[in-house]
Parts: sequence; C-alpha cells; structure tokens
Amino acid sequence: MTEAIYPQVRIVSARFLRPDTAEQLLNRLVQVGGIRRMSINGPSIPETVPYGPARGKPNPHPDRKVIRVGDQDVQLQVQVGTIILELEDESYIPAICEAVDEVFADKDFSCTVQQGRYMKTQPTMSDYAKYGPDADKEILGLVDPRKKGGPVIIQGTK
Amino acid sequence: MAYKPQYGPGTSKVAENRRKQMNPSQKLEKMRDVTDEDIVLILGHRAPGAAYPTAHPPLAEQQEPDCPIRKIVTPTDGAKAGDRVRYIQFADSMFFAPCHPYQRTYTECYRFRGIDPGTLSGRQIVECRERDLEKYSKELVETELLDPARTGIRGATVHGHSLRLAENGMMFDMLQRSVLGEDGIVRYVKNQIGEPLDRAVAIGKPLDEKWLKAHTTIFHSLGGTPYRDDAEYIEYVQRIHSLRTKYGFMPKE
Repeated sequence: MTEAIYPQVRIVSARFLRPDTAEQLLNRLVQVGGIRRMSINGPSIPETVPYGPARGKPNPHPDRKVIRVGDQDVQLQVQVGTIILELEDESYIPAICEAVDEVFADKDFSCTVQQGRYMKTQPTMSDYAKYGPDADKEILGLVDPRKKGGPVIIQGTK
Repeated sequence: MAYKPQYGPGTSKVAENRRKQMNPSQKLEKMRDVTDEDIVLILGHRAPGAAYPTAHPPLAEQQEPDCPIRKIVTPTDGAKAGDRVRYIQFADSMFFAPCHPYQRTYTECYRFRGIDPGTLSGRQIVECRERDLEKYSKELVETELLDPARTGIRGATVHGHSLRLAENGMMFDMLQRSVLGEDGIVRYVKNQIGEPLDRAVAIGKPLDEKWLKAHTTIFHSLGGTPYRDDAEYIEYVQRIHSLRTKYGFMPKE
C-alpha cells in the first residue's frame, strides 16, 4: 500500500502508445528520477486467445514486446495507455511534465500529466476476501498480487 | 395513401447519413474491392473452394408441409440449398466509424433478407445461411459501411470500440487481426476468430478523418456533431421515452 504522503501523477496520452514510444517515454521518465513506484495500464494483450472458438491458441501480437527501461527488460502485457507514478516529492512534477512534452513534441496527438490519487492507500474488504491477509502490500492496488512474476525493479542513482 | 418509410428523424448530417444507409433505394458507395475468396478467408467458416456444408437436404428434395406462408415467401439461395447458419460480427469504434451496431441492424433489416442480427453496445453480429452471408458480407465490407481502421471484423474478443485509438489510428484489437502496413494498407492477418491466415487479405487504406466525420452515423460531442444539436432527433426520442413510460396508464395523445 502506498503512503498518502507521496504525490502521485498520471500520464494519459490521447492515443495508445506503440512499444517503442512507450520505451522512449519510460526511459525519459527514469532519467528524471524521484519515482518510487510506477504502474503501466492499458487494455491487456494476452499470450493466448482468451475466449471464442480459437481459445488457447497462441496470439502473436506485434505490440506484446520486451522493452528496455533503464537497466531492465520489461515484458509489456498491455497496450500502454496510462502510466501512474508515485513520486518521492512534488518537486519532480515539473520535470516530468517537461519530459512528457519532449517525447510528445513530434507526435500528432497530445498527452496530459495529471496530479491526484491513483493508487490504493488501504486494502478493501474485497481485496481481503480475494487475496487474504498476507497479500503483498507493495503491489496490492496496482496489480493482482497473485500474479506470478513480481515487479521489475529499476535501480536509481541513490 | 401508400406507406412511405421515413427511416429516422433528425436534421443533422449524422441523421441524414443514417437515413441514407437504411434506405434500400439509395446505393451505398463502393469504397474497395475484395474478392469472394478474401471474404471466405476472413469469415473462416469454410476453406475457400470447399463445398458448402449443409444442415438439411435442399428444399427441392424434401417434402414441404402445406403451409400458406411458405407459398408467399421465396426462400433465399442459402435456404434453398440447405446451408448451415453462420455469422459475421463487426465492432465499430466510437471515433467516427461509418456505422455502429444499431445502425447496422436497421440497415441490414432494410437491405437484406433471411437474416438474424444481434445488436450489442460495441458489436453487432448477423447470422444467416452461409451462401447468403458471403454475399451480404461482401457488400458490408466493400461499401462505405466499413472503414479498415475503425471497423473490425471480429468474431470473438471484440473489445476496442470505446477505447482510444492506437498511435497509427487503428482501433485497439487484442488479437491484432488487421495490421496497418508500411504502405498504408490494412491487411487481415487472422480470420475473425483470431486464427492466423495463410495469406494476408488486403482491405485497403484507412479513410481520412475528414471523410469519416462527413459520413459517420455516430453523434459525438468531441469533434463531431453533438446529439443535443439535433433538436428534431431529441424531440423524437423524448416522445418515445415519454410514451413508453406512460404506456401502462393507457396514454391518449
């Protein structure tokens, strides 16, 4: 769970991002620094066809790719639409806005940076019922804690 | 006085486009050429060139009961041959797709025979005899009812109609059935249920934003024609709403 004292921002683009644009944006954000946690949201791109007559067959999708962010490989499982960040303090926000503007300067669609509260601060009753009392609080409210494969840790400069 | 259908209310461009699509005496503009084999590949119900599997013997070979309705209604080609019932399903992006589910159902009911459309919020399925389906699908794909980028032929996993578009302007598709090539042409690489095709099926270039906005049948307050600007349409819908609400009280106009 997140501490309510940390500011959060959400980066929303008017279009879904290609993996290379997402990679460029994320790397630029990592350079800014001051990010405690980050979550990439968007509609899921499954590995296999989830339902219908072709259920279970492989689903080759050009946007389900491994991208390189900082010094880590990240397997994209969604088409990137929204990026939620938890920052160390508010002083990083102008730099993040600047980074986003820089990446989207040559694109023909816009991207906005919003400040607010986008991560859960307390587990809900449903979380308790679904995941039990020992769920990993670090990722609860961001992704399903039962999911295999933990978070990707990108080493900062501190 | 002979009944003359009005097809729909409204004074806006969107309303006019809706009426145009529904009116069977108006010819739909042909936008692209797709071969019969291409359609069979996208539908994925049978292999191209294979015989049509049947659900019952041809009508000519079986004894029909003595029924006055059967004497009035001429069977369609597919029904005559005893074809199976198969489907095509479309998902239309709310970003100015040329058609949308309700509109498709109305249009098909006015234009085609022997169909069973199913309308949902983001997708529309039409079922009919296989032979007829291929004929109708060809018309649905080749004419202005389809935009290669903002309309998807999706039998399953249709999610995408209400989502943002991708960077290249394509509607999101979890299974990426259609791909926008470097040359600007959209190709289907999977059939409608997501099985890879042996060869890609080209269905032409996406239509430009200006054309889409002029031909869309979707009201959209962001960048398009807002619904509230069409007073006649609102008046009509409010009247229907009020009558159906009061219906239990036997309203008298």
